[in-house]
Amino acid sequence: MNITKTVVDNTVTLTLVGRLDTVTSTMLSTELDIVFAGGNPNLIFNLKELDYISSAGLRVFLTAQKKVKASGNEMKITGANESVKEIFEVTGFAGIMNIE
Amino acid sequence: MISVQNLSKKFGELVVLKDINAQIKQGEVISIIGPSGTGKSTFLRCLNLLEVPSGGNIIIDGNDILAKDANVPKLRQKMGMVFQSFNLYAHLSVLDNLTLGPVKLLGKSKTEAEAKAAELLKMVGLLDKRDSFPDELSGGQKQRVAIARCLAMEPEIILFDEPTSALDPTMVSEVLAVIRRLAKEGMTMAIVTHEMDFARDVSNRVFYMDEGLIYEEGTPDQIFDNPQKEKTRAFINRIRSFSFKIESPDYDLYSMNAEIEAFCEKHVLPRKMRHNALLLVEELLALYDLQQSQVELTLAYSEKQDRLELVLESTGEAFNPLDSGNAPDEIGLNIIAGLSENVEYYRLEEQNHLSLTIKIQ
Repeated sequence: MNITKTVVDNTVTLTLVGRLDTVTSTMLSTELDIVFAGGNPNLIFNLKELDYISSAGLRVFLTAQKKVKASGNEMKITGANESVKEIFEVTGFAGIMNIE
Repeated sequence: MISVQNLSKKFGELVVLKDINAQIKQGEVISIIGPSGTGKSTFLRCLNLLEVPSGGNIIIDGNDILAKDANVPKLRQKMGMVFQSFNLYAHLSVLDNLTLGPVKLLGKSKTEAEAKAAELLKMVGLLDKRDSFPDELSGGQKQRVAIARCLAMEPEIILFDEPTSALDPTMVSEVLAVIRRLAKEGMTMAIVTHEMDFARDVSNRVFYMDEGLIYEEGTPDQIFDNPQKEKTRAFINRIRSFSFKIESPDYDLYSMNAEIEAFCEKHVLPRKMRHNALLLVEELLALYDLQQSQVELTLAYSEKQDRLELVLESTGEAFNPLDSGNAPDEIGLNIIAGLSENVEYYRLEEQNHLSLTIKIQ
């Protein structure tokens, strides 16, 4: 998986490309640790080019959302394809996250 | 009519038939099905001694044809055989192909043999080809002549060895129609065939051969709708499978995924099925303690039912990975529940078995 980070004002956008699974979720976790170490921004995950997500990836999103909300900011997920959206649906994440 | 007891056949060290036991009664139509190389044709060829069995007995109407004093030519006359490759005499006309045996072996007059041949050629729809030579006929016509030639010898049973395998698909039905007609008329037949629909329609009983045995036998409904044994089920449902062993927590997820993808591609499974298979495998494996147990996963695709099944077998203590107490949270379990159906767990012979069908909708 490739992760690209862009920062505009107090919003960090992470664009994920490829697969977010047991192995690559640790990469995303590490990247988020770096983001949170630098402050408490709004967070956007751009999933337009993410082909696959497993529960390991969802747990990383859940942890990130808890941290963002705790600091009073917003987290948003954008561009998910049908397969990834289906996983948000079956796990109930569609109801607890801001998914566009 | 025919009783086969403990029949075996070896070619050198190669055991083709291990222990065949079967009964064929008068008027029965038996289809013999099974994967290639499991001894189906050898079994037929042993029945009429085209191959000499290595052991066992073949009893026809109370006479053991393997007994030293058996009148083999006489007993063999009771059995006709139709071959995949027709085996017609190329230098003889169709009519002469049909009359040669009855004149030489049954002692019939030429006139009598020709009258019978004409009747049989009419029955197989080829009377107008009586003066043609085999090379002038299509494959389907040649096979119909071969059947008529076989009938000319007035056999009590006909053995068909893959009678349509050498034919173009367009010619299969004309040959099967003739065999169906013989079945209706009460001819006793044993047919080695790969035409499953035909076997189902025409037979009274079906022998499924595998491992050099009649692995399972039953009525067509039993064998085709409710096979009891694993290999029969796999064959009937045209199941292709792939297995992968996970022996350590540090297993290579991507190497396994590559093999799963290759399996799915080979069988042209839809993208969605492939995606869900990969995801279910990952989620399920995450629930096992791979320090404590080894897991073997099998993906089995039934071409007939267009269904992909995932089976995980694990060693160690009784453990159902889907019990919620075994998961860190509900996320993985929700994915598994959302993407699968027909989930079943059981423990057998110290192993845990979990099977599920992968949803594609």
